[in-house]
Amino acid sequence: MVESNIWVFAEQRQCRLADVGLELLGKALEIAAPIGWKVAFVLVGHSLNDLTEQLLTYGAHEVLVADHPLLSSYCNQSYAKVLENAIRKHHPEIFLSGATAMGTDLSARLAAKLRTGLSAHCIGLELSSERKLLAVVPGWGGNILAKIYSPSTQPQMATAMPGVFEKPQRRKPRGKIIPIDANITPEDVTYQVLEIERGEIQEDTLERAEVIVAGGWGIGNKEEWHWLEKVASVLNGAVGATRPPVDEGWAKEGQMIGQSGRTVHPKLYIGVAISGQMHHMVGIRDAETVVAINQDPQAPIFEFCDLGLVGDYKEILPPFIEAVKQYST
Amino acid sequence: MRTIVCLKPVPDPKHWSQLRLDPKTKTLIRREIPSIINPLDKKALEAALQLREREGGEVVVLSMAPPNVIPVLREALAMGADRSILLSDVAFAGSDTLATSYVISAAIRKMSPYKLILCGDQTLDGSTGQVSAQIAEFLDIPNLMHVNAVETRQESGYRVRSRIEHGNMWVGVKPPVVLSVSKEMNEPRYITLMNILEGERKTIENWSSRDLLLTEPWVGLSGSPSQMAELFMPEARRRLEMLGGAPSEMVKRLADRLHRLGYC
Amino acid sequence: MDFKLSEREELLRKAVREFAEKEITPRMDAMEETGDFPVDLLKKMGEMGILGVITPVEYGGNGLGNLARIIVLEELGRVCPAIPMALQVHHMCTHAINAFGNEEQKKKYLPRLAKGETMGVAAITDPSGGSDVAGMKASAKLEGDKYILNGRKCFITNAHASEIWVVVARTGEAGARGLSAFIVEGNFPGAKLGRKENKVGLRGAITGELIFQNCEVPKANLLGHEGEGMNIAIRNIVETGRPGMASVGLGILNAVLEQAVKFANERVLYGKPISTLQMIQAHIADIYSDLEIARLLTYRVGWMRDQNIRCEAESALAKQFTCEAAARSARKAIEVHGSYGIMKEYAVQRLLRDALVAIPAGGTAEVGKLAIARHALNLFKS
Repeated sequence: MVESNIWVFAEQRQCRLADVGLELLGKALEIAAPIGWKVAFVLVGHSLNDLTEQLLTYGAHEVLVADHPLLSSYCNQSYAKVLENAIRKHHPEIFLSGATAMGTDLSARLAAKLRTGLSAHCIGLELSSERKLLAVVPGWGGNILAKIYSPSTQPQMATAMPGVFEKPQRRKPRGKIIPIDANITPEDVTYQVLEIERGEIQEDTLERAEVIVAGGWGIGNKEEWHWLEKVASVLNGAVGATRPPVDEGWAKEGQMIGQSGRTVHPKLYIGVAISGQMHHMVGIRDAETVVAINQDPQAPIFEFCDLGLVGDYKEILPPFIEAVKQYST
Repeated sequence: MRTIVCLKPVPDPKHWSQLRLDPKTKTLIRREIPSIINPLDKKALEAALQLREREGGEVVVLSMAPPNVIPVLREALAMGADRSILLSDVAFAGSDTLATSYVISAAIRKMSPYKLILCGDQTLDGSTGQVSAQIAEFLDIPNLMHVNAVETRQESGYRVRSRIEHGNMWVGVKPPVVLSVSKEMNEPRYITLMNILEGERKTIENWSSRDLLLTEPWVGLSGSPSQMAELFMPEARRRLEMLGGAPSEMVKRLADRLHRLGYC
Repeated sequence: MDFKLSEREELLRKAVREFAEKEITPRMDAMEETGDFPVDLLKKMGEMGILGVITPVEYGGNGLGNLARIIVLEELGRVCPAIPMALQVHHMCTHAINAFGNEEQKKKYLPRLAKGETMGVAAITDPSGGSDVAGMKASAKLEGDKYILNGRKCFITNAHASEIWVVVARTGEAGARGLSAFIVEGNFPGAKLGRKENKVGLRGAITGELIFQNCEVPKANLLGHEGEGMNIAIRNIVETGRPGMASVGLGILNAVLEQAVKFANERVLYGKPISTLQMIQAHIADIYSDLEIARLLTYRVGWMRDQNIRCEAESALAKQFTCEAAARSARKAIEVHGSYGIMKEYAVQRLLRDALVAIPAGGTAEVGKLAIARHALNLFKS
């Protein structure tokens, strides 16, 4: 009999586990502990033995597994049916999944099946004094935050943004493995995956780049400029510059970002040795995440960044490149 | 062959700086902000128009919104939709995604038979991304999200490309199906002056809850499982988070953060 | 009196704004550099219906009218004022043919102009003086079934991008009554293009010279009657040219306000955005006021034209006020920018140059004031 009050969906595609599932597990364990609630990690798919063993080391009280050949490829209706049956049988209070391509799709269908509320892409989770799930949800492009809860339906569901919560520490495996029914037929698989295309489309122009690494006067000389190109390379991004490097010939005119250059809308902007004067910053106003690296803690760019690092770029970029490379192996 | 495009009018982001929060009612004051067609829904409409050019049929635009969004529907008609339906009723106010999807699915059921339902992955304001899948669930048909290409296969099916982490997947699916599109899907066409005149001759019908067969209680505020406990505007736009410590520590934390955000 | 725009007009504004922002913005650097109109956009503009906005449907246009035309030109001008400068002269050409041409002429030329196969020209200005229309020297003598045209026309917008020219020349006595108008095609024997001017502003609207050396114009291309030339020229200017130029000014004013407001909200001095400083606020208030007044004056002319109400004084007022206001506000916007305002990377200096060119184009401010005075002096006669 399944005892867990909080179930966390262990998203996986072709047996590769998504980090967001682990992050949610960490958060669930954190909010469950003070009130003695239990947390289950829920896995759906096929040929999952290795993955299941791995999951036990993350601290969940129970690992629920639905393993069936018809589940080997993700299909939202078949996965949702399996989860619906399990939830109706075991009545968890809360069901959490990642706000990913799979998670958003799957939990939306599941919530409709269960006629329950679903809080989307939350950036915070807590339990109220009545043990109801409160999800902090951004809207209007992040300009508004709302606390959402579903007081009268069960389970209370939420999806969470990747990268918000912390993964739990790995530990000695604990927890029971409990198989759950996967009563599905071929009719439940309503679409066929024909092929998977790997890899991002290379964005080669600054305006379309999702990641931009830009350098400023503080780079110092042309010989060191290659560090920016290396960082851009490991992040699949493009290299930009402020005016002084272009004037000095370290970068091309077309790479200049700012009032007199390009206006860009990357998802990630990393400004290296850039002071952050207005006529450059207007060029990156809409960047989703701004990272600033500068030796001068008073540099204006630190008032317009999401993540700031004070230090010498020559000491920061080389280890950073190595750390990023680790993730792609 | 009927294609239904679900469209939401959203407040124009160019005017979002005028957003105000009413501290007493915990609601957003958005009266003076003009509406536009949700950008991803516009791409869904463009996709529907392109499919109509290939396969023929009718494109109907459906929107659940208050009555002041008629200009937005007129714009959809000018773009090329054949007719449009506005679902408007005081009873629908305060709906969460479940209640919204339920009402829209009831309207779609009334428009049977249909082959394809298209909409955008998410809206600019609420941006839950949940409605397309929930509409499909209420209609008991398949759905695919993050669609960026649609091809017609033989045996009256579709070959659909959908974005996943680190790539795309091609999927075969038989209609009727709900497809929600992502930003790579297409670039919507311009509306010409002649289109504007043509659009004025097309119809906008108004349906209220009486026109729909609503059998379940999932309507409006009272039918919405999700409730708002609190609403607030965050202080600064940027997080201004300084990563401290020795360079090696800062670097590890930065790399980890970027990894979790999906950049490496 | 309803000051609200109709649903149709609001949608029109939205549609043209999207087109302008996507299609014209990338062309602007090249236009500023070469001074040339992006002729590759002409076909797209034809498809959009921009070129045929005052041409009736039966001749390939959409006939949306004069107020619609003003909104279209304003939205294009918000992005790049040189574009409506060029297009408004194109409309002058289509208006002259539509209002004064016979059925064959309309059927022959209007569809081509609406589609964007070529640009249109209204060639009135002689080297002897644009303000002195009645004194023009270009002549046309009837010989058999052809008019032989001799002379030069200068400061002609769209010259080097156009194959269809409406030209006014002297067929009879000295003075206003001796003028006639013709439709001249660029490939008629004896017609050729002269110099291209290098303007300091509104770069992107070609300004050039037309040269006629025993140019043969078929009799069938006489527009209206002999002797009607002055009337055609004046009505063309009053009904189409002045509102068109006023729309150019409106475009400049919109752009100027946007630049000034954005800069004022972003630029930080003494620890705060400069928009908190009262003198900056005064400048912004002045620019905003100029824009609102200019818009009301110009829209009114569009409305009057659509109602077929005579608007001599009103159109002179709209043109004269709007272009002066554009220059005045552009200067204020430069002040708001401080030293950045006179750097070429910032748009405001270009907008001032655009306004300076707009002021005398299509009728000097002085001539405009004469028209207004004429009207005012008739008001309280007993």
